[in-house]
Amino acid sequence: MTPATPAEVGSPTTTREGGSYRDPSGFVYRRDGVLYRQIAPSFAGDWDAFEASGLRARLVEEAILVGHEEAPLELAAAGPVHRVIRPEPIPFISYPYEWTFSQLKDAALLTLRAQVLALERGMTLKDASAYNVQFLGGRPILIDSLSFERATPGAPWVAYRQFCEHFLAPLALMSRVDIRLGALQRGYLDGIPLDLAARLLPGRTRFGLGLGAHIHLHARAQRRYADRPAGGDAAPGETDARGRMNPARQAALIDSLARTVRGLDWRPAGTEWADYAENTSYDDAATRAKEALVARSLEALGGGVVWDLGANTGRYSRIAADLGRAVIAFDSDPAAAERHYRTLRSEGRTDTLPLVMDLVDPSPAVGWSGSERHSLMERCDADVLLALALVHHLAIGRNVPLPMLASFLAELGAGLIIEFVPKQDAMVGRLLASRRDVFPDYTIEGFRAAFDGPFEVLDETPIDGTVRTLFRYRRRERAARGEAPGLSG
Amino acid sequence: MHLPLAYIDPGSGSLIIQVAIATLVSIPVIFRAQVARGVRAIRRDKGPATETMPRTDDPGHAG
Repeated sequence: MTPATPAEVGSPTTTREGGSYRDPSGFVYRRDGVLYRQIAPSFAGDWDAFEASGLRARLVEEAILVGHEEAPLELAAAGPVHRVIRPEPIPFISYPYEWTFSQLKDAALLTLRAQVLALERGMTLKDASAYNVQFLGGRPILIDSLSFERATPGAPWVAYRQFCEHFLAPLALMSRVDIRLGALQRGYLDGIPLDLAARLLPGRTRFGLGLGAHIHLHARAQRRYADRPAGGDAAPGETDARGRMNPARQAALIDSLARTVRGLDWRPAGTEWADYAENTSYDDAATRAKEALVARSLEALGGGVVWDLGANTGRYSRIAADLGRAVIAFDSDPAAAERHYRTLRSEGRTDTLPLVMDLVDPSPAVGWSGSERHSLMERCDADVLLALALVHHLAIGRNVPLPMLASFLAELGAGLIIEFVPKQDAMVGRLLASRRDVFPDYTIEGFRAAFDGPFEVLDETPIDGTVRTLFRYRRRERAARGEAPGLSG
Repeated sequence: MHLPLAYIDPGSGSLIIQVAIATLVSIPVIFRAQVARGVRAIRRDKGPATETMPRTDDPGHAG
């Protein structure tokens, strides 16, 4: 089946997504800003079986897979086409190296659940990439509708290795070694090599049935059979494991992986900022005054999307969410973001996405041609930035000059609610306690001067019961262009 | 039997060890299924009064 008039490749309105090139079954592209997925004729049999088996309907019903609408074939991007679909949009694309421990764990269990349902219907997941999962309404969901193919009876799971490298290895390292090893995912986009994971994990994990088998034995087998085709002496594409994966073994394998994943836990305690909100030096009255002021400022700025920078465990994200805003809550501390995610999950909230992000080192563009995974700056769509109790950590804790900070924030969002924390504040005192004060410009006058460049100040209010000041700003450039209808000032 | 070539490399060692691990971890599943089958048989022998429990076991997963 071919479209009557497919769009020209490279036409100005059609751009292929940078990360969509591995799987020949189809690809994702944008046409006039709308996201489409084109399905290749070579995948027609599997796609039709996916529909006919009822698997797709079941996955969508269980909110495991994003829904989609059929689109006219004329909207195909290029070349031969079987179908064109318009997937449900994901408001904000996030990546596994930005997720908290439990977000990655939930994504892993979601992937295994999808494989269980697929096997029950004679289908199988042909890949298990963590990048096929996104967060929608606070919960993980698979976004690649082309990940399911007809199962070959008796065949092993071809995505087993990828599952272990994308999910099990990082979870095991974060749980059993150090939570900060989650950052390895940014360097290993194809998953963490199992030999590396095996080397980093404590020796005792060799003796557990889960990690011992799926990481350690798995890594040894990879090394041992590295130069052999899958079938040993058989032709490429055949396997000496043929016929041995009966349904009981397939189910037992997935069950074993799920048990192993569930058995990995991490208690978010003891890292730097997880208790920060509770340890601030201000009393309840001052906190309430700040909350009221933040709420008023959010209402005044309007907009639909709020990025809470340095969100900690989400005290102020909640105020924005309660006002109907979609919130992305960033924090550099994996413990704070983890606690935030667990709270939201237990409450069933759908309006806030916590992510781990160091604003001094925001996610760069990575992968093939530097366009496979987008940088944070490429993904910014915030109407309003919330930067509370943040300035001193960046300006003093990390030596970022205030004018550079102001320019950076102006890149991220059109509206800004920002708290200035002066040197008289106890928290700044702690930051300066063991170092030389090389910040003569870190004063409220210096702050005003720095932010007056890229921003227009709308309000400046001291926070009752504190020495701090809350500023409300509107970005000058955008205001000048009149492109911020949501910002009422 | 022919294993379809995947678009990702499933890894020779990964396929081989997967079958070994699956065989190992399916043993308790098979064992539990056999025990359940035995229990059912004993209950049947005891008469119809004890046969009213609904079964939820999936024989397809019992191996």
